[in-house]
Amino acid sequence: MTNSSSGSKMSMRVDKAVHRGQALQFTVDDQAVAAFAGESVAAALFAAGQRELRESPRDSSPRGMFCMMGSCQECLVWVGLRQVPACQIPVTEGLAVQTLTFRRQHLD
Amino acid sequence: MTNEADSSALHKIDLMIMGAGPAGARAALRAKASGLRVVLVDENNDAGGQVWRPLPDGFSRLSGVASSAEARDGDALRLELRKAGVVCLFGHKVWNIGSDLRTDVISPEGSVSWLPSALLVATGTTERVIPFTGWTAPGVMGLAAATILLKSQNMLPGRSTLVAGNGPLLLAVANGILKAGGQVAAVIDLASRTDWMLTLPALKARPDLLWQGLRWQANLRLAGVPVLYRHGIDSVVSTPQGFDAHVKPVDSSGAPLSGAARVFSVDCVTVGHGLVPGTDVTRLLRARHRYAAESGGWIAESDEMGRTSVKGLYVAGDGAGVAGAAAAGAHGELAALACANDLGRISTEHYSRERTALLSQRRKPALFGRAMAGLMALREGAVAAIKPETIVCRCEDVTRAEIDAAVHEGARDLNQLKAWTRCGMGPCQGRTCSDVAGALLAIHVGSREDVGCFTGRAPLRPVSLAEVAGQYTYADIPIPKAAPL
Amino acid sequence: MTASAKALESGKDYDTLVIGGGVMGCSTALHLARAGMQVALVDRGALCREASGVNAGTLTLHMTRASLVPYAMRAWQMWMDAENWLGMDVLAKQAPGLTLAFTQDECELLTLRANARREQGAPIEIISPERARQIEPGLHPGLLMAGYCEIDGYASAYLTGRAMTHALRNAGVDIFENSAVESIDSGDCGHIANFDGKQAPLRGRRIVLAGGVWIENMLAMLGVQIPIKVLINQLIITERIRPVMRSVLSVANGLLSLKQFANGTVLIGGGWQGDGNRDQGGIESRPQNLVGNMRLAAYAVPALAEARVARVWLGLEAETADAMPIIGDVPGVANAYVVGSAHSGYTSGPFMGRIMAQHILCQPTDLPIFNPARLLGMPMPVA
Repeated sequence: MTNSSSGSKMSMRVDKAVHRGQALQFTVDDQAVAAFAGESVAAALFAAGQRELRESPRDSSPRGMFCMMGSCQECLVWVGLRQVPACQIPVTEGLAVQTLTFRRQHLD
Repeated sequence: MTNEADSSALHKIDLMIMGAGPAGARAALRAKASGLRVVLVDENNDAGGQVWRPLPDGFSRLSGVASSAEARDGDALRLELRKAGVVCLFGHKVWNIGSDLRTDVISPEGSVSWLPSALLVATGTTERVIPFTGWTAPGVMGLAAATILLKSQNMLPGRSTLVAGNGPLLLAVANGILKAGGQVAAVIDLASRTDWMLTLPALKARPDLLWQGLRWQANLRLAGVPVLYRHGIDSVVSTPQGFDAHVKPVDSSGAPLSGAARVFSVDCVTVGHGLVPGTDVTRLLRARHRYAAESGGWIAESDEMGRTSVKGLYVAGDGAGVAGAAAAGAHGELAALACANDLGRISTEHYSRERTALLSQRRKPALFGRAMAGLMALREGAVAAIKPETIVCRCEDVTRAEIDAAVHEGARDLNQLKAWTRCGMGPCQGRTCSDVAGALLAIHVGSREDVGCFTGRAPLRPVSLAEVAGQYTYADIPIPKAAPL
Repeated sequence: MTASAKALESGKDYDTLVIGGGVMGCSTALHLARAGMQVALVDRGALCREASGVNAGTLTLHMTRASLVPYAMRAWQMWMDAENWLGMDVLAKQAPGLTLAFTQDECELLTLRANARREQGAPIEIISPERARQIEPGLHPGLLMAGYCEIDGYASAYLTGRAMTHALRNAGVDIFENSAVESIDSGDCGHIANFDGKQAPLRGRRIVLAGGVWIENMLAMLGVQIPIKVLINQLIITERIRPVMRSVLSVANGLLSLKQFANGTVLIGGGWQGDGNRDQGGIESRPQNLVGNMRLAAYAVPALAEARVARVWLGLEAETADAMPIIGDVPGVANAYVVGSAHSGYTSGPFMGRIMAQHILCQPTDLPIFNPARLLGMPMPVA
């Protein structure tokens, strides 16, 4: 599902004015993604070049983060047993996130 | 309508404040100072709202680097809240409110209920984005989203970004991108230079912000960023590198004019057409509302101190009508003052004196804020120009054509449109589409008042059954009388 | 002005005025129009936007009153054939229906209720938990017993209004929406319905009161006092989730209805009460009933626990003093009829409208109707 443009995965981050949280790794669909503690899953994925997070219900068109504030419900992903907006989940070390498509493919 | 079984679990307080932006936070400080038992609740990890968005937990500002005025103001407010010892529920989601103002909150530990004597709604606005071909593609985001990426997550939205829409956020986001070292391909503004000029008299009420605006314009010129006034996005086409954004000239209503489109190749499009006051809570509680285009759309009817038509229910800040962050603070204090007075906790003399002072304090910032709100008002031509195949309701993939077909068959109000098309039935419950859908219906029906609003219902945010149900056994389920045989 | 004087005003003389555009009123109007009558259908709002548009859409025999099973079975067939007689479908789908028992008491209740319905013709079988899980794998492991019926299913209630509008227009019914009847003048020549607002009075030889919970108000306009209880039923819909169930589920005590639509959303009902009234509608849910309803649903199908609720709403359901329908002649008023208050009225609505029409057309009704006069003076049971 990754559709990154060229360039290093960390270069979208701007460190001029802040000291980020702890560097860590979390997984999305079993793939490791580097991020920093406190960043939202949606932002971390966006910075890593993964913008498409799911498909729309009727047309199956690609969707991803849109409002970044937990309102639009477009950036839905699965964390554990729960479907949540990715913009509302802070990344933590070892956090396992699944996209809806991945989850559907891997559930009986 | 108290719930005897759970009343022991109800936390009784004087005032619950929803939203810890400028309005809510200042209201909380004044309420506490007036001796009220107050609780401030916000989904976000700290106070500041959208305008003074806090950094994520674990981030810190680099010392020795000059921070922006916004960062300073936000940090100062957060510090003030901590010093005052205001009880804050951050990272908490309010999902239901009863007519007795019982407020149900999801915390990491489960659902907890509070019973305040009064409720102040300071939940601000959502962003309006008028649909265009390709707007649902990943990588197209709201201006508020780009702001959050830049200011809170400290990330660029893209390497080369198109900034489009209308309102003061255009300049703010474009400058934010430049400051962060990114490129702005162009700024596409539905407004004309004249539209901006006409706000000058009001801008003089806030010389600091006027000065900032001029600096921002100069920054864009220096960076060679084209600023296209009276232009709008016609379509965004996905390409292997990102997007080709087709931009066309528009008239004053936002309707496209004939002529060739200019194409910008970018990897990100950030777009916003103004702010819409959030009325989820006030609609849920059946307060009276009115449609005020100059305030951003539907708002709860309120007096100058934020009292609504429902006793004990107050509104303040942009959610009560867009008037800007500076005016929001004073508005929040007015609402807290009104609440303290209405609960009989302050003297008439104190109330009268403070009321005069705060109203005066709010006047000039509100002038500025309202001028900005004027720039953000919905442009009907842009709505009318939405193409038939364009998605209007993102949650349910409902197109303009389907909405028009329903209207053609006789759908006359927003709730009927919902029943006939599923527009507004998705997880966002119309937060993203209701303003535009309402405007589309009004083209045929005549007025926004006739079209109405979606009926307000719980939950205010999606909640899982597990979050509400908590831990239980079968015997814990309170089975009422069985149905007749 | 007297009724006869008003009748001299120019304007259409309808054979029948139907007041109330829910599924019963719409079905009555449709059947009368197709039999050749000139019909006016009136609603203070839009068609099928009250109970008929907001109910759970369950087409089940498990939850229908035992003595109404024969009616529900015929109506079920009509719903499945909707595309034919209605012309536009409401996504009615057949699905196996399971009613569940989790305790010994519930097993007894289940057996009692299943037997009562079987006696009325419902093909309900008592089955083991193992067999139930073959039909519905996701059921709670603590299931003790289930009732199974293959004549079950669901429709999307909110689609009813649009479908009915089409069918009624095609049948030549004049539809008057957003027209609230303020008073009714009745005389030998017929009835005149008077409206507040812009709508001019409508004249009809016959009048049918099909106003759901507002039947009580309508009867009062004709000078008849029959109390109609207002139930404030809670409904809960989730967002779209992966397939977790394929049957229509209920619980032995009748307090759960559960189904997953083709679009993935799960609708949870069961008649848990909220707060509201006839004038203001459904105002809000009761916290303990919201929690209880959700707990029961998540218990029956554990996979539902993590589903997110998108919306909770309330619908108004009518109930008479003996909890049986009111279908027949308005006592003491010539050429006036009333139809409504069938428990699970959406399920049996199309058929109730048909027999109401048959009665009005002086034809033998497919099944007996329910004499309203029996309710005169019958006290409403204390809650």
